[in-house]
Amino acid sequence: MSGFSFFVGGVLPYVAFIVFVVGMVYRFRVWFKTPQPGKMTLFTNQGDSTTKSVLAEALFFPSLFRGDKPLWTGAWIFHVTLALVFLGHVRVFTGLLDSMLMGMGMSEEAIGTMSATAGGGAGILLLVTGLFLLIRRMVQKRVRQISGLPDFFALFLLIAIILTGDLMRFGAHFDLAQTRVWAASLLSFSPQIPENGMFLLHAMLAQFLIIYIPFSKILHFGGIFFTQALVKRR
Amino acid sequence: MSNETDVVKEISAIKKGPKVLKLYMDMCAKCGTCATVCPVYYGDDDAKYNPANRSDLIRKIYKKHNTATGKVLGSLAGAEDYNEEEFKEWEEHFYSCTGCRRCAAYCPFGIDNSVITRKGRAILDKLGMTPETMQNVVQISLDTGNTDGASPTALKAAVEFLEEEMHDEHGIDIKIPLDKEGVDYFYVPPSGDVLVNPEATTGIAKVFHVMGLADNWTMSSTLFDGANYGLFTGNDGHMKADNKPYVEEAKRLGVKYMFMGECGHAYRIMKMMMEAGGWWGDLPFKVINCMQWTTELIKKGKLQFDKSKNPLPVTYHDPCNFAKSCEIVEEPRVILQATCQDYRDMYPHGADNWCCGGGGGLSAMDDIRDFRMEVSGKKKMDQIRATGARYVAAACSNCKRQLGQLMEHYKEDIAVGGVHDMLSRSILINGKAAERVDYD
Repeated sequence: MSGFSFFVGGVLPYVAFIVFVVGMVYRFRVWFKTPQPGKMTLFTNQGDSTTKSVLAEALFFPSLFRGDKPLWTGAWIFHVTLALVFLGHVRVFTGLLDSMLMGMGMSEEAIGTMSATAGGGAGILLLVTGLFLLIRRMVQKRVRQISGLPDFFALFLLIAIILTGDLMRFGAHFDLAQTRVWAASLLSFSPQIPENGMFLLHAMLAQFLIIYIPFSKILHFGGIFFTQALVKRR
Repeated sequence: MSNETDVVKEISAIKKGPKVLKLYMDMCAKCGTCATVCPVYYGDDDAKYNPANRSDLIRKIYKKHNTATGKVLGSLAGAEDYNEEEFKEWEEHFYSCTGCRRCAAYCPFGIDNSVITRKGRAILDKLGMTPETMQNVVQISLDTGNTDGASPTALKAAVEFLEEEMHDEHGIDIKIPLDKEGVDYFYVPPSGDVLVNPEATTGIAKVFHVMGLADNWTMSSTLFDGANYGLFTGNDGHMKADNKPYVEEAKRLGVKYMFMGECGHAYRIMKMMMEAGGWWGDLPFKVINCMQWTTELIKKGKLQFDKSKNPLPVTYHDPCNFAKSCEIVEEPRVILQATCQDYRDMYPHGADNWCCGGGGGLSAMDDIRDFRMEVSGKKKMDQIRATGARYVAAACSNCKRQLGQLMEHYKEDIAVGGVHDMLSRSILINGKAAERVDYD
């Protein structure tokens, strides 16, 4: 085992997990506890209740839809696909889903085909919409004017993760069984790390992203519930 | 002398709240949607008018001093330290946002850049750098109780004049009671609606008369202006100091209703800040708006009108504080549709409407008139032109001033006024509307 693979497969997972959980819990705690005198309610795009309106914003981005339809299209597909891919990765780490599906009568081949179609499609969709967000940031004046290094860094990192993931899906070597062994071994603190260059690169970048989230604008996936609640409060 | 220490201290204080500002320091994704919907950026797409850039003036200093990544990585993490040269431009930057909250309505996270603008202005105010025009208005209001600096004698004279006007129009006495204790309604208009565009006030007086409540309402001869520029300069102390006498006057008069006139920010401060925030504890009265009241009466069929008195096409400009912050959207339309022959909505309207370009107190600043005409007010002019209206109603003295100047600047023959103005011209009293046709 090389130092690199031990770092990526045996050290980084623990670091990423701790940094992410502690970082986000800290953020949520601060946001929750900071006092807010007075009401900031904004009487536009209101649903029947605060909770419903906030949930709608988090799931369907209605405000953005009204403001910028091309961006909404790209951003919504990007985020929804990201969520699906996140769920798809559960299957990479554990065979539980497979046994459930087989219990429901699906054959192993059918599961493989479904995963290849849905996963492959999602991988391409993510790449396309990710590139759309990047190109938009470079080309559109109003976005370019406000884009700084952190904005490009976040997108480059995401696109690199998507690319390495797609490469594994469409060409480079990938061993599902090995990955599941690795995931299980992490839980028993005796990492058995797959010797797969592309996989390790993908895993490394993804873990960098996870570590980066609490310190970056990507924390908006949690912050949206707080900021939207302020303006949607009845 | 550098202002660095003070500015950094004020910005770092955001750590302790309010929550809304703290979140905005952490949260922008820089997607640019705010620029798409901003009236100022619509007028001029220079980077300095991009809302996210304006907010970043504060955000980047906050990051530099209060976040681990900002301290270690600096500009790589979007953090930058205080810069004296840039600070000199703060006044221009923070007084080129109209605080309309349109960005917040379309931002996927609901980030309200006007909150950051107000923080920027508050810091300028602490350092004595509030623009002179704004500072003067605040001072006059704190000294005299109204933003026009009018004396009780002047107010009494104006009220007498209005009573004579109404006598000429209808041939009967219609009162505007002053300093009357023990009544139910305490009318607090913007002072402009008595001194400059008084038809809104005659409209209100006529409704009270028709309802048989002529003896049940009052104005105050010392406190007749809900306008409160503390909201615009970011100075909470001034805002509360300006507000308190009105609450005390309402208590002294023993009224049931603080009856707010056609002034968006005055109503927002009374309703959403003072009343909702419990500034002065439990109140023996309720804050209501005159347009809600009149609308209810119209819906109940208690008021009749002669629409032929208002034959020209009329449109309504939604003042941002009323539509976006107080949900007063339907009411002015009910009144205008009941009193005018040809009411037309502009597009978009209601809470989605565009700012007049003079919000956030900018309307009072004559030194930036070119900016208000050519940049921030451009979209509004386009919208009004598209309706073909000959009269624009706006329930806000600041909007009215800005809109009037826009018509002058773009040489449009379109009159600007209030909502109850149209009611005043068409309401039937003893079966007859006002005998007067010489409206401008």
